[in-house]
Amino acid sequence: MTDCPNGMIRDQLPEYVHGVVSADSAAQVGAHLAQCAECRAEVAVLGSVRAAISQFTPLVDVTRIVSLLPAPPTATPGVLMPRLTARRAPRRFAATGVWQYAAAAALVLAVGSSVLWRSAVEPVAERVADSSRATALPIGATLVVPANTPESVQSANGMTFGGGLSDLSLNDLESLLGQLDSVRTLPSSYPESMTPVITVKEGGKSL
Amino acid sequence: MGAPQREGDATVDLELIARWQGGDQRAASEIVERHAQALARFAASHGVRDAVDELVQDTFVRAFNSLGSFRADSSLRTWLFTILKRLMLDRQRAERRQRNTVELEEDHAVQEFNALDGIVADEAMVRVRQAVARLSPLQREVFTLRVTEGMPYLEIARIVESTEGACRVHYHNAMRAIKEFLSDD
Repeated sequence: MTDCPNGMIRDQLPEYVHGVVSADSAAQVGAHLAQCAECRAEVAVLGSVRAAISQFTPLVDVTRIVSLLPAPPTATPGVLMPRLTARRAPRRFAATGVWQYAAAAALVLAVGSSVLWRSAVEPVAERVADSSRATALPIGATLVVPANTPESVQSANGMTFGGGLSDLSLNDLESLLGQLDSVRTLPSSYPESMTPVITVKEGGKSL
Repeated sequence: MGAPQREGDATVDLELIARWQGGDQRAASEIVERHAQALARFAASHGVRDAVDELVQDTFVRAFNSLGSFRADSSLRTWLFTILKRLMLDRQRAERRQRNTVELEEDHAVQEFNALDGIVADEAMVRVRQAVARLSPLQREVFTLRVTEGMPYLEIARIVESTEGACRVHYHNAMRAIKEFLSDD
C-alpha cells in the first residue's frame, strides 16, 4: 500500500469516518475519496480497526457504575459546613470553649458574612472593636491567649479574612477550622469578661 | 459538525457537571452514559479484557470524587482518559510486582490480544488486531484514540503526555505499519 500525498485530506480521515468534520470538509474529503484509491484503502483500515476494537470491548454496566458514585455535593455552604465539622469531630480538644468557638465559627460563616478573627491577646479589654459592625459570639464563647503565649503562637492564632463567603474555597474553610485546633484555651474559671469579639470587615483575606 | 460539534459536546459536559455539583444525581448517569463505552474501548485497545468494567468504574469514582479539580482546559473525556490511563499503569505495575517478573508492556498487550484470537472466527478481524498489537505502546495509544474516538491530536497529546506534532507522526507511522502488515497476506 502507498500513502496518498495529500496530507491535509489524510489528516481529516479519522474525523471524517467519525462524522465530526464540518459540512464543507466532508464534501471536500468525499470528493477526494472518489478519486483516490489510497485514501479509500486507508478509510477501510480505519473502519476495520474500529470494528476489531469494538468487537472485544465489553458493554459497560452504566447503572452499576452510577450506583457506586459519590453523592453530589450539597449546594449550600450551610449544609457543607457540618460535613467539615463532623470530619474534625474525632480530634481531641482541650476544653469545651473551643467547641463552642468552632460552632460559632460555623454559624457565622453559614450566614454569609465576612468575618474577622483576632487572637485574644492579654489584656483582652484593650482590644478595640468596631461597635458599628461587631457581632458578639451568640453563645458567649471564651477565647483567650494567656499572657505568656509566644508571639509565634499568637500570630498563628490570628485568623483574618475578609471578602464574601464565596471567596472561601474548601481548602480555606478547612484551614480555618484547622487553625481552631491551635487555639489554646483556659479553664472555665478564667474571668468571663474575656469575651472575644467578632468584627465584620470588608477587604482582602488572609489565613 | 466538526469543531462546532465538539464545542457542543464540551458545553453539554460542563452543564452536566454543574447540574451534578448542584445536587442533581441524574446528571451523573448522563455523564457516565456519555463516556463509559469510550473508556471501555480505550482499555480494551490496551489489551485489557476482564478488568475493563473495574477500570472504567474506578475511573468514574475517582473522577466524581475530584470533579472540583476539573479545570475544563481539556475536554471532560480527555480528563477521564487521563485518569483511566493512570489506573491502567498502576494495575500493570501491581501485576508486575505480583508476578515478580520483568515485563515489557508491548509483550503484555500482545499476549492479551492473542488470547482473544481463538474466540473470534473472523480471520480479517484477527489480522487487524494482530496488526494493532504489533505497534509500540505509544503508537498504539495514539492510533487507537485517533481511530476509535476521532480525537484531535491536541487532546491525544494531553493523554499520552506528548506533543501534537509527535502524535501526528506516531499516528501516520502506525497507519503505515498496519497497512504493511495487512498487505503481507
